[in-house]
Amino acid sequence: MKIDAIWQPDKQQQMFRVLLEAMSRPGSIQSLPAALQSSMADKALLATLLDGEVSMCDRHALLTTSDWPLLQARQADAEQADYILCDGAQAPDFEPRLGTLSCPDESATLIIKVRSLYGGDMGLKLEGPGIEASTRVVIDGLHPDWLKTRQDWVCSFPLGVDCLFVDESHVIGLPRTTIVEVC
Amino acid sequence: MSASVGYNFGFMDEYAKKEIRRTVLKAVAIPGYQVPYSSREMPMGRGFGTGGLQLTLSLIGVGDNLKVIDQGSDDSVNAVNLRSFIEMTCPGIDTTTSVDEANLIQSRHRIPEKPLRDDQVIVMQVPYPDPLVIVEPSEDRRKIQHGEGNYSKLLVKLYEDIVQFDEITISHRYPTCINNHYVLDPSPIPRWDVPKMHQSRALILFGAGREKKIYAVPPYSKAEPLVFDDVPFRIEDFRDEHSVRRPCARCGCTSSFLDEFIDSENGEKVYQCSDSDWCDEQLAQQGEC
Repeated sequence: MKIDAIWQPDKQQQMFRVLLEAMSRPGSIQSLPAALQSSMADKALLATLLDGEVSMCDRHALLTTSDWPLLQARQADAEQADYILCDGAQAPDFEPRLGTLSCPDESATLIIKVRSLYGGDMGLKLEGPGIEASTRVVIDGLHPDWLKTRQDWVCSFPLGVDCLFVDESHVIGLPRTTIVEVC
Repeated sequence: MSASVGYNFGFMDEYAKKEIRRTVLKAVAIPGYQVPYSSREMPMGRGFGTGGLQLTLSLIGVGDNLKVIDQGSDDSVNAVNLRSFIEMTCPGIDTTTSVDEANLIQSRHRIPEKPLRDDQVIVMQVPYPDPLVIVEPSEDRRKIQHGEGNYSKLLVKLYEDIVQFDEITISHRYPTCINNHYVLDPSPIPRWDVPKMHQSRALILFGAGREKKIYAVPPYSKAEPLVFDDVPFRIEDFRDEHSVRRPCARCGCTSSFLDEFIDSENGEKVYQCSDSDWCDEQLAQQGEC
């Protein structure tokens, strides 16, 4: 039996380093490791981070039922889940966990799938930790409501959510500290 | 290597690594906040760098080039043992003593003299992660104070130092405010190294194994030592009684952090670079001239 590369520990280690780079340097476009080029970024990401200890919500039914046993994560509502997989083309219609003042880490991580992280009609200027001065990203296929809603979620630091935008083979991180401006 | 047979790559099981990886991402997303994790048992005593080791083992993969530092040196006992353990349990990785060649650095008590690059990650071993522990014994209350950014008790402690000694007496583990909110313990680095965290090009990760906390300073972040407006932060002063900057006795460098030794034969004080790779590099450059 051939095991898909995203389930192999050494590929998950490479994928984690990609995610760490994405989260450390918001707005930088990170490519999937070479060994995962034929995989989908969202599934590779979930395979790297999830196990039976955490819960996930597949808000817009992007996964198939056969993915769940492999991911091992518990299914949960968006209001309770540790990880929320969303379709960026649809407007956000849920309230994720933002953590508490004492435990801001008990907040959701959003994985938002978009058409492309190169080109498109939505230009964003980013500032904050991890960014030297400022940087610019262009996202294709993101519903405009996401920006306003994310702003509401992250406006009282340290509470907030951390986002990972993915297209087919790239990742961009947007932690709660990043200040986003449409430009 | 035959000694590694029977162990998973990186010694820890994949679930343990996954948990640490999730924790690291949250730590980076909330700069300076101590994220709790279930620090696993390592084949060494807690307090010997198990937090840093678990971080390194969760990060490292084939193709990485690792440098391990103990008090500035690659040849101190803690560095040698950690490096050989990682070499044994992670077949296929490279190790080096050169800052230039390394892309992953695990360190105890020092940040290298040479400025780090964007493609490098430095992992610090942390004995005591919470700077508030000296003024507040309850972790519940400390967590609330951190959340509210309330460091008044810590500032009173610093003020009492000034009243009593005319100076803030903290020599290492200087409390540092990250991105205008959380104050962290930067591990027992000297004051000399604290400014290196400000707008660092490399990601800085902190692992406290015994206290079960992971925290981070993302690259290009504000890192400001806690001070008062009228009492500026100062680093170690290496001038002698004639106000001349002491050079390193080995390489002659006058811009590095110096260790003080007592010469065993004549009992005199000797000063030498703490960062052994830096010292070697200065010597090599002089050889070329």
